[in-house]
Amino acid sequence: MKFGPLAVALVVTAFPAVSMAQDAGLATDEQILLKQVMTDRKAVFAKNLGLTESESAAFWPIYDEYEAKVKPLNDRFLANVNRFAENYDTLSEADAAVILKEKMAIEKEREALKQKYTSKVAKALPANKALRYAQLETRIDQMVRRDVYGLIPLAK
Amino acid sequence: MKRILITLCGLAAFGATVPSIAQTTNAKDDVELLISQIQTDKRAIVLRTLDLNDAQVAAFTPIYDAYQAEMKVLMERSGAMLDKFAANYGSMTDEAAKEILKEALKLRDDRNATMRKYAKKLERELPAVKVLQWVQIENKLNTLLDMQAAAVIPIAQ
Repeated sequence: MKFGPLAVALVVTAFPAVSMAQDAGLATDEQILLKQVMTDRKAVFAKNLGLTESESAAFWPIYDEYEAKVKPLNDRFLANVNRFAENYDTLSEADAAVILKEKMAIEKEREALKQKYTSKVAKALPANKALRYAQLETRIDQMVRRDVYGLIPLAK
Repeated sequence: MKRILITLCGLAAFGATVPSIAQTTNAKDDVELLISQIQTDKRAIVLRTLDLNDAQVAAFTPIYDAYQAEMKVLMERSGAMLDKFAANYGSMTDEAAKEILKEALKLRDDRNATMRKYAKKLERELPAVKVLQWVQIENKLNTLLDMQAAAVIPIAQ
């Protein structure tokens, strides 16, 4: 299987990038929404959280710090997908074990970061807004995951 | 009634078929039935997709069934959380929002930990490629089910 384009497509899908708009496969309303979400994740929070000025001052530094901490995990995720892509046609047991271990480690660290920063947000905002933040964060993640998993074939 | 409906819709969206809801006598039975349907359907998809040989099936199914049993408890907790969200929706107090958020985070953490635990168990019994496939399938199915569930749960006001 030719896997190169997949890795490229994954880069485009997994991270906010203007080239999403050029993807010919996107058609439904939800996918259009996804493009909007991906183009400016921050704008989704800004628009939907309804923060006051003082809440904004408390929230955005936490959010920016969270994004900065997530970025190295995204880089590791991409490196792991590329490893999978490079070995896809001849995936050995050793390759699969390494990829699986790294995948689970990334998921664990990503979840720990989410927990940590959602707790920080919960301390900085009223509880109903913190809950709204967690719901939005989860939904954005689900959309990204759905599209990313859709691009990665099962191991063979 | 609104509470029961939101809870059932949230769980129904996890993939179960809805018509049989009417065949049971109370909400608790309905939730149990939905969870059972979801897990039965998921098991069939996983087994069909993994394409295991007989020896691998014999090793896989007890572990998978134990995994499903733990996931069932988490789904029941999700149902209770949705019920609480529905009961408070529209007049959410800070206290209720805090409790729901705490439970939502704990559930996500518990689900990921459960999956990691069972991936490790499977690694001792199956080829690594098959375990990788299983994790991929679970992630795909869970993401689709989560999205369907989220679609019927409103954002907190």
